[in-house]
This record gives sequence, C-alpha cells and structure tokens, in this order.
Amino acid sequence: MNVEVTGLTRRFRSVNALVEVDLSLGAGVFGLLGPNGAGKTTLLRTLATVLAPSAGRVRLLGRDPADPVERREIRRRLGYLPQSLGFYPGFTVFEFVEYFALLKEVPERRARADAAGAIERVGLAERATAKLRTLSGGMLRRAGLAQAIVNEPDLLLLDEPTAGLDPEQRVSFRALLRDIGRRATVVVSTHLVEDVGTACAEVGLMRDGRIVFRGTPAELAVRGEAHGVGDAPLERGYSAVLAEEVR
Amino acid sequence: MITHPDDPLHVAGCAACRAGAQPPPDVDLGRVWLEVAGRTWSRPRGPVERLASSLLGSPGLARALVTTPSLLRAYVAATAAIFVAGAVFERGTGAPLVAVLAPALAGAGIAYAYGPGADGVFELSRSMPVSGQMVLLARALAVFALNSALGLGAAMVASGASGVALGWLVPMTAVCGLALAVATVSRSAAVGVSAGLAAWCATVLASTGSTGHLDAATTEGWLVPAYVLIAIAGVVVAVRASRQLPAAHD
Repeated sequence: MNVEVTGLTRRFRSVNALVEVDLSLGAGVFGLLGPNGAGKTTLLRTLATVLAPSAGRVRLLGRDPADPVERREIRRRLGYLPQSLGFYPGFTVFEFVEYFALLKEVPERRARADAAGAIERVGLAERATAKLRTLSGGMLRRAGLAQAIVNEPDLLLLDEPTAGLDPEQRVSFRALLRDIGRRATVVVSTHLVEDVGTACAEVGLMRDGRIVFRGTPAELAVRGEAHGVGDAPLERGYSAVLAEEVR
Repeated sequence: MITHPDDPLHVAGCAACRAGAQPPPDVDLGRVWLEVAGRTWSRPRGPVERLASSLLGSPGLARALVTTPSLLRAYVAATAAIFVAGAVFERGTGAPLVAVLAPALAGAGIAYAYGPGADGVFELSRSMPVSGQMVLLARALAVFALNSALGLGAAMVASGASGVALGWLVPMTAVCGLALAVATVSRSAAVGVSAGLAAWCATVLASTGSTGHLDAATTEGWLVPAYVLIAIAGVVVAVRASRQLPAAHD
C-alpha cells in the first residue's frame, strides 16, 4: 500500500478539519469528493507532508513522514499539485518545471529531459519557452501538473486539477491520470463528479472531516437511484450519501 | 556501406542503406528528442548558480537561492541605487547616512527572502525533499552577504580617503534577525519589513536624541550585546517558525 492512514485527525485551533480518517490506497486513481470545507484539501496537504497530523498514524510509500530521513525519501517520490498554485511570473514553463525537478532531487543530468518529457505529457510543448505570466489559467494548471509528474511519482496528489481546463483538455487530462494510475497511486480532489466517473477507479466522499463513503463510481451512482438529487447518476449518488449523513 | 544516404529514393530501395540508416537498437529516440528539447528550452545556468551549486552541493538549493525574491535583478538594482544615493549624500554633507541605511535595506531584503508572504511557490516547496530550513538559511545568508558588500562599497565611496566605518554591520545583523523572525512568524514579508524598520528607526531616533549624533546607534558600544542577542534570537525564532509553518513537519 502506498498510502496507509489510521485514525488521522488534524485540528486547526478548535476546528477539526480531519476526524479519525482511515484510508489505505494502492496503485490506481482515487477520487475525493465532498462539499467545501469537508477536509479534502487538508487530507491532501497531510498526504503531501505539508501538514503534520494532530493525531493518528500516517505511512506513505512504506515510510513514516514524521521521520526527517524517511520524509525526504517520500518527497522524492511524491507529486503534488496544490489548490492554489503559486508561480514565479518571470519563469518560463520549462524553467518552472525544471526548478521543481531539481528541488525533487532528480539528478541534474536527467532534469532537463525529464522536465521536457513532463511538459510534453501535459501538452504544453508549444508553450515551453513562454513566460508563466502570459499563460491562461488552464495552461498554468497544466504547468502545475507537469511539475507534479516531473519525477515520475509513485504517489501523485492533485487538488482541483481540472479547474480552468476546457472540455478537450479535461479529456486528455483524464487519460493521463488513468495512464499514471496504472503504476502509481493518484489521489484527486475535485468538485466535478464527471472527473470521478471517467478517471477514477474508486471514490471517497468526505463530509465534516470524515470519509463517509468509499466505493466505485458505479456503487456511488447506485446510492442515488432512489432519491438522489442531480442531473447525472453520480451527482444523485453524491447528494443521496450527503443527505443520509445529515439525517 | 551507405553510398547515397541522403537520397530517400535510393534508401527506400536499398536494404543495405536502410539497415545502415536505422539507429542502433539500444537508442531510445524518444529520450533523445527529450534531451534535445530540454537543451533547446533551457537557459544556461549563470555563474552565480554554478558557484552556489558547487558550494552547497545541491543544484536544487542553488536554484532556490537564485530565485530569492530579494535577490532578483530589479530588487538588487534598487537596493544598490539607494546605497549609491546615500553614499553620495554622505560624501557631500558628512551626515553618516550609509550607516543608517544599511540595516534598514538589509532587513527589508531578508524579510522578502523566504516565506509564504514573499515566495509564490512556498506551499509547493514545502513538499520538496530540499529542506525549507536550508532554503531559508541559504537565502538569508546570501541576502545578508550581498547587502554587506553593497554597504561596504557605499561606505568606501562615502568615506573617501578617511577610514571606512563598519559599525553598522552589527545592528544590521540584529535588524535582519528581527525582520526575518517577524516575517516568518506573521507569514507576511510586509509585516517583517515594518517590524525591522520600526525597531531600527526607534533605535536611531532614541540614540540620536540622547547623543546628538545620527550614527550613534552604530557607534555606541553598549548596544552591541543587545544587537547580538536580537540577531541570535531572531534566527532561532525564524528557524523554529519555519519548521512549524504551516504545521509541524520540517
């Protein structure tokens, strides 16, 4: 298992952002759904080793992120796209991706080719030498994705990766996720249920810091057959599970 | 033997030439293309980055160093311009302006060296194997060294033939430590700069008021232990705070 989380709790002062979360994930694409404030971003930041848990046990890629040496090894094999991707406006796409290849300790002799490969994979080769400040929101998102995959990560964490992408880009993005998910663990937090339906083998639904549903997209759709609200089966499943939790 | 390798019609009809034109079986053409693309798209590393890479033993840390917001060309040019103006003014009037400017400028540069308020990719860099504390220390040291060099140059220009006064180096260390600590704890470079400038202005005004000399804050020996304490405390607080930003990892 690449992700093993037991009893994970994360508090921000008096607010419990994560409450006793248990999660174990192997290779494949896992979608995280949930309303705003459900804890998706906090869970991803914890898995990205940006946040330390307040309580509970976390093991990533067979290692303990609380140990500095093991954390460094985890981070070498980690890819992370945060919800709000900061960037240096004066960097080109290539410089941005190469910078993170170097920060991820990709050997210097390989960094340039690996950065070029990541840029090709996200379809930004034609804009590789463009300054980041000249890119559209969707292109910036793809540049962010390129830095996340530049080290061929075994654990890829994507927070709202499809925000700003047009429908065509979304389709190729989902294909890329499925491809990466064949050998790595991919966790995708999203508001878009169609992303989950087409790209994810499994889905988790979060509410109030807890994972209240885990199953396949088809199983989630079944939950909404009786009395879910929404235009698509997955949306009905999503709303039905949340409604059950409220009751 | 390839006799007409540039003639596609010949190569198409000649098995020997086709065999000769094939790449060796162990060549990954996709990888070759990526190498070429990477070389084409990249910019050559500058001498500062190459030197930092060999000194620090980490290309990633070296790149993080040369991307320090307060070490970018425009920022350094602005700092140098203020030092030059101060030196020219001091040379003309005799007022010790460089000694008063140096701590303030260095404090501002340090506050804009690292942290969520200064670095656009701070969140992302928190998930990297290159340690955030190492980035913090490398950047702070580089900014301090650069401002020291600029201040020294300005002091030499200002003093002319007379001896160069370096009393501002110690208070500069204290202002840098304070600005760094406040910027890191408050997660705002602007707050760090404000704290450093406010403390330095208060010290200069108080010491000038009591002695009548503008540079008393840099020449009064009894202030040195306080400066050293503030500098050490500032660095300790900043490193501890960076470990806890935004949580306990690192």
